[in-house]
Amino acid sequence: MKMHDVWKIYRMGEVEVPALRGVSVEIKKGDFVAIIGASGSGKSTMMNLIGCLDVPSRGSVYLKSQDISKLDESDLASLRGKTIGFIFQQYNLIPSMSAFENVVLPLEFLEYDDREAANRAREILISVGLGDKMHHRPAQLSGGQQQRVSIARSLAGDPEIILADEPTGALDSVAGIEVLNMLHRLWKEQGKTIIMVTHNLNLAKYAHTTIELKDGQITRISENDEVNKK
Amino acid sequence: MKLEKCFMHAFNMALHSKLRSWLTILGIVIGVAAVIAIISMGEGMQQSMTAQLSGLGGDIVTISPGFSRGTGMFVMRGGGGEGGFSGGAQATDKEIVLSRSDLQALKGIPDIALIDTNIRGSVEVSYRGKTGKVSLTGVDQRVWSQITTNKIKSGRMLDSADQNVVVIGGRLASSYFDQPIGINKMITIEGSAFRVVGIVDDQSTNIYMPIQMAYQVIEDKKNGIYDSFVVKIKNEDQLDEVIAKIESKLMVARHVTQKDRDFSVSSSRQFQQTRAEALSSLNAFLVAIAAVSLIVGAVGIANTMFTSVLEKTKEIGIMKAIGARNPDILLIFLFNAGFIGLVGGVIGIILGTILSGFMPALMGNLPLMRGTAIVSLNSIIMALSVSITVGVLAGIIPAYQASKLKPVDALRYE
Repeated sequence: MKMHDVWKIYRMGEVEVPALRGVSVEIKKGDFVAIIGASGSGKSTMMNLIGCLDVPSRGSVYLKSQDISKLDESDLASLRGKTIGFIFQQYNLIPSMSAFENVVLPLEFLEYDDREAANRAREILISVGLGDKMHHRPAQLSGGQQQRVSIARSLAGDPEIILADEPTGALDSVAGIEVLNMLHRLWKEQGKTIIMVTHNLNLAKYAHTTIELKDGQITRISENDEVNKK
Repeated sequence: MKLEKCFMHAFNMALHSKLRSWLTILGIVIGVAAVIAIISMGEGMQQSMTAQLSGLGGDIVTISPGFSRGTGMFVMRGGGGEGGFSGGAQATDKEIVLSRSDLQALKGIPDIALIDTNIRGSVEVSYRGKTGKVSLTGVDQRVWSQITTNKIKSGRMLDSADQNVVVIGGRLASSYFDQPIGINKMITIEGSAFRVVGIVDDQSTNIYMPIQMAYQVIEDKKNGIYDSFVVKIKNEDQLDEVIAKIESKLMVARHVTQKDRDFSVSSSRQFQQTRAEALSSLNAFLVAIAAVSLIVGAVGIANTMFTSVLEKTKEIGIMKAIGARNPDILLIFLFNAGFIGLVGGVIGIILGTILSGFMPALMGNLPLMRGTAIVSLNSIIMALSVSITVGVLAGIIPAYQASKLKPVDALRYE
């Protein structure tokens, strides 16, 4: 995944507000990247672009060497479904669906065979430790459990990239650490590319590469080889 | 996403929706129920009309004195095949009647198979000490049984050799007097005794007797003067030609022209056709009114869908983030709208069917509404497809709006 001189400018009536100002970065396959910055630094915008939820105003974003601004909405959706798993701060589960149904949903968009989808969803939910809560609704689960459902959902389509937006933001520290360890395992054991957006500098130590953003520009990229030893 | 999955999600969405959806469904229910009730009522009327039409026979022509320059429909009395005209619009010094010479003229027409001569009057009838006034028809007993559309419930028709006998209407027999009149009972008409030989299968209080006897009991009718002729023609297909022939023959016989014509020739078929046409336009009018309520229901669906899209903006964002394409979202919302329409349609049909059962009672004794309401498969299929279409149409714009939501904006929506 690569960004080249990316600008994102939001219009607020007459005023143009640049959220990203000429960002160029390359994230290698199999890396664990933390994008950190204060609020308003442009990290959410960057995440939206990486996640193909939005297209840049200028410059290009390449995902698997495809320029996303050249794809139409449906192609973008399919690319998202196959390549990227999202984990949100507010979990963003569908409240009327059970944990199981939430995990099956992305597979339905990918037009998986019913039985295959059900098996896969069950397997993943068991692997995140929710085997006994599959048919609970989100409202019946704790924050940590909901975030695990959301992780399970992000993994359902077996994506290469997991994109986590403040994954621990709404959790207490114990549940937060649990989630981080889970992400870490996904990176180490399954070779997923993990991209985590956060304002919490402490979380950055779980990542191999840290990208610091300020006022829409990258101020520092550092690598931390210590994490490999964990 | 596969089609059936879209449908499942739409179904779940409707299932989990709140009171609002049910209120929307109610709008469609009322519309569909109204349409079904009215259509089934219309079909009931149509069917009883068709039954009457075939019962009357298309080969019967009635000739009566007097002529109206109007359309004809309004001077008629619904007396079935033998029902004649009510004197027409002309008021002259001389009473207009049909005479023996007219009968001779008719007999000269080869296309006519049978001629029944009728006179009518009001008579006093008594039975076991009770007296009442009913109408009496004198008929040519030799041909009456072959021309009349009346059906005999018990006993027999009049026949050639009959003299002091009568056939009476169903209600006269069953409930007009304190005690029912049975076959072979004697009744007194204007002081003379008559034996009842047959009871007609209807609800009238009419009395039928041989015309020669009727001349004696009806006060002011002279022999050789008739109130109407009822003729049966040989070939039903030539109805219009025969009517024209009868008219021209009678005009010659009565020394009148088209301008001062003083008699009318009508067929029950013509009469019924006019009535059927009037009915179907009335029906169309009612259906149009009911359709308005369906349109209001559709607006309700559109309104609910817009609100629903707004309410589900965040979910739409989530679905898009995890791989939903625009057509997936479009279909889910379209199916949802269609589903609301479908459920409304089904409940509406059930309600409409129940309602149409009460329709005849509600309409009371309206002569047009004799039949029962009939809920046909056609009207059910029509109502279902209309309600689904209405739902989908009402859902198109909201669903399109939902599908075009940008994932970033939708996700940010709270």
